[in-house]
Amino acid sequence: MKDFATIAIPSHPKYLSIVRSVTGKIAQIYEITETLTEDMKLAVDEACANVIKHAYQGDRTKKIVLKYKITKKSFNVIIEDSGIKAKTDLIKGRDLDDIRPGGLGIHFIKRVFDVFHFDETKKKGNRLILIKYMNIKK
Amino acid sequence: MNIGIASYKGSKVIQLSGDIDMYSSPELRTELMGLIKKRISPLYVDFKEVSYIDSSGIATFVEGLKIMKTYDGRLRLFCIPQGIMEIFRFSKLDRVFEIYGSIDDAINS
Repeated sequence: MKDFATIAIPSHPKYLSIVRSVTGKIAQIYEITETLTEDMKLAVDEACANVIKHAYQGDRTKKIVLKYKITKKSFNVIIEDSGIKAKTDLIKGRDLDDIRPGGLGIHFIKRVFDVFHFDETKKKGNRLILIKYMNIKK
Repeated sequence: MNIGIASYKGSKVIQLSGDIDMYSSPELRTELMGLIKKRISPLYVDFKEVSYIDSSGIATFVEGLKIMKTYDGRLRLFCIPQGIMEIFRFSKLDRVFEIYGSIDDAINS
């Protein structure tokens, strides 16, 4: 089994609700638990928010492409943009004991997905690969 | 997200509903900072109808709390749904915010 679904959204924060809805619906199709579904919705939302903030630096007129790939053993989300390259060595959340605004998004992504990886072969922009290893029923 | 400001037993309550995300959190920040600027304390926030919060929403409350602490203000959150409470716990913010099960618990504490 290898199913694909792809959506493209403008890089405007108002479309993040679409990202959450689509992520949730796809997870529902594959009978992923409600708790994990909510965690994945938050993680994918945070990843797209980071694209808007960092890759596109707030420009709301660009495009974000999300590719969902579901296999028997994993739930994969690939997020592509054409913005500024991520400085992967600088990507880390704040210390959770250091209470201050910001720096949580990356923790919300990594607490759910087993793989958080930027495909360095993409020439322009970023391709973030998120993988959750799990047994998929359908 | 919808924001309402209500009075309950003489206290100001921010009533939130819907999703708090990168799109809606600037509006929340404006409302919250407006009340903080007036140094209203304690300030209560009703989470009962909140269906979702992301890091930008949480950052808004952390920022508000930090400012309130400079004048010994109190920010009290109540009726946080379980899924959202999990996010507060994971972020270790359940130790930072005053969180209550009901508005009466929050007011009477």
